[in-house]
Amino acid sequence: MAFEALDPLLHSQLRLAVMSLLISVESADFVYIKEQTGSTAGNLSVQIDKLSSAGYISVEKKFEGKKPKTTCKITPVGVDAFENYVKNIQQYLKP
Amino acid sequence: MEEKELSPKESLDLINSMIGKARERYTDNSFHFLLWGWLVILASVLHYWFAVEAIIEEPQMAWIIMPIGAIISTVYGIRQDKRARVTHYTDKLYGWLWMSIGVSMVIIIVNGQYLNFQIIPLILMVAGIGTFVSGSMMKVKILQLGAICLWVGSIAAFQFEELYQLPINALSIAIGYLLPGYIMKSKAKKHGI
Repeated sequence: MAFEALDPLLHSQLRLAVMSLLISVESADFVYIKEQTGSTAGNLSVQIDKLSSAGYISVEKKFEGKKPKTTCKITPVGVDAFENYVKNIQQYLKP
Repeated sequence: MEEKELSPKESLDLINSMIGKARERYTDNSFHFLLWGWLVILASVLHYWFAVEAIIEEPQMAWIIMPIGAIISTVYGIRQDKRARVTHYTDKLYGWLWMSIGVSMVIIIVNGQYLNFQIIPLILMVAGIGTFVSGSMMKVKILQLGAICLWVGSIAAFQFEELYQLPINALSIAIGYLLPGYIMKSKAKKHGI
């Protein structure tokens, strides 16, 4: 049986961590994601841009008082991609 | 988190670990229970006092304080939403649940004359539904027990005329709403919220 290639966008530690976090919640802000993934702000920002460009997540930037607040939410495209990724990974793990 | 080539097993472990992290939480929803609990008790006691002592012609005017609760609850809810760093699906469901409970209560109150003014037992019954489902969603057992108190209060209130339903209402709310509210508040403090 031929294995499906894994989505390269999701087959990366930080991007997969972000997607796994976002699939479990309605939305999460940048600081929360940074704390939960233990990543640096710069790296996280780059990976979030990549996921957003692919349409996997939506990013809303607004101000809360004087502080900027970035909120991320998984999109239906992102949910499909994530589910496919998990399905494909399970193929690799089958004995 | 460093970037490295993931094996399928590592990928699955990472997914499980992140989903687990997203589930770890304790939300403090005690504010609404305490606010509404005290308002309902105050209105019930005032209504009873006004009626027994014949202080005013329309003792049910005591309930005029309730819209204050609606305004405070709404403003507080909006501010909490804005401050929240993460929103879970249950947070939204919780909001919709209590909004529909509120609408149902208003329908009961507005149509009291068609219900032979059995408003209090019906309100307690509906409040019991909201409290029980909230307890199930947030996994707070004390709220489910509180809901049972509200339902027992509802059954008891059906046995009495309107005036005597008021102290039953106050007592049911104190045990079924306020007490769980204070317990949740103290638990939230322990969780550092």
